[in-house]
Amino acid sequence: MADDPQEPQKKNPWVQLGNYAQLAIVFPAATVIGWLIGSALDRWLHTTWLYIPGLLLGIVAGFVELVRTAMKDSS
Amino acid sequence: MPEQLWFTKLLNQLFAGPITALLHALHIQPQYPQAPITNAVAMEVLVVGLLLLFFLVVRSRLSVESPGGIQHIFESFQGFIEGESQSIIGHGSEQFTPILAVLFLFILIGNLFGVVPGLESPTASPVVPLGLALFTFAYYQLQGLRHHGVKYLKQFLGPVWWLSPLMIPLEIISHLARLLSLTIRLYANMFAGDLVTLVFLSLIPIFIPVIFLGLHIFVALLQAYIFVLLAMVYLAGALAEEH
Repeated sequence: MADDPQEPQKKNPWVQLGNYAQLAIVFPAATVIGWLIGSALDRWLHTTWLYIPGLLLGIVAGFVELVRTAMKDSS
Repeated sequence: MPEQLWFTKLLNQLFAGPITALLHALHIQPQYPQAPITNAVAMEVLVVGLLLLFFLVVRSRLSVESPGGIQHIFESFQGFIEGESQSIIGHGSEQFTPILAVLFLFILIGNLFGVVPGLESPTASPVVPLGLALFTFAYYQLQGLRHHGVKYLKQFLGPVWWLSPLMIPLEIISHLARLLSLTIRLYANMFAGDLVTLVFLSLIPIFIPVIFLGLHIFVALLQAYIFVLLAMVYLAGALAEEH
């Protein structure tokens, strides 16, 4: 397999289009997933606060994904 | 009883009894026992039937000496998918060409159903894009596991060991977010495309809807392409040697 799969991707503008089109949705999607996991844990463990760390983790995960993609394309 | 397309009606007339019995055996209560097959499922069946028919026709006409028009089209299409996956995944990408090509054709034909009178896009119903995204998600994770073995799970731990308690939930959320974003993008685009075409068709029935039908076809093609492109990117990420 490709040792560095990002290298050929940079040459293909369609791949960048796909990546950036995805990025616009990944950030809110990560936030929603984090909140959903937190809410599910709240229901399961009969707590009322776990959705907050879930939501925060989701936001951080969204940012990590944003930065990761941006760094891959600029490196 | 929900509004049924002609093909859904036909399927329900033929198979409603056995399918309701099967659902009951699985302890699932269908909302409409006389019509357990929804429009989205019926359209998916139609897409699969059309694809099988296409492939059977192409298979029966394969010729090395005098390839026909259909063979040329399918060979070009296969070459296109192979070229794209080669540029994204790299060496060894040929093994994924059949599954990626079928995924592309399934989504494309499903999307294009929206412009055919009497049919509707199965991808404009959220369960179908979700199913496709779940399949893609499971497929690239399994390929990553198959390629790297247990070492594949190391990518969820992050670059530094002491950060792993934080990185594990972050990576899990990132991967699940891919699943959700694949679903939402395809569903939202096709649903909006259908709605816009329908609204303009009812407002101004001549000329203007043609523009929106053209736009719908372009969006159908683009969304099928982006879905498969992202499946390739995720596969490349799962198979990369940097873990």
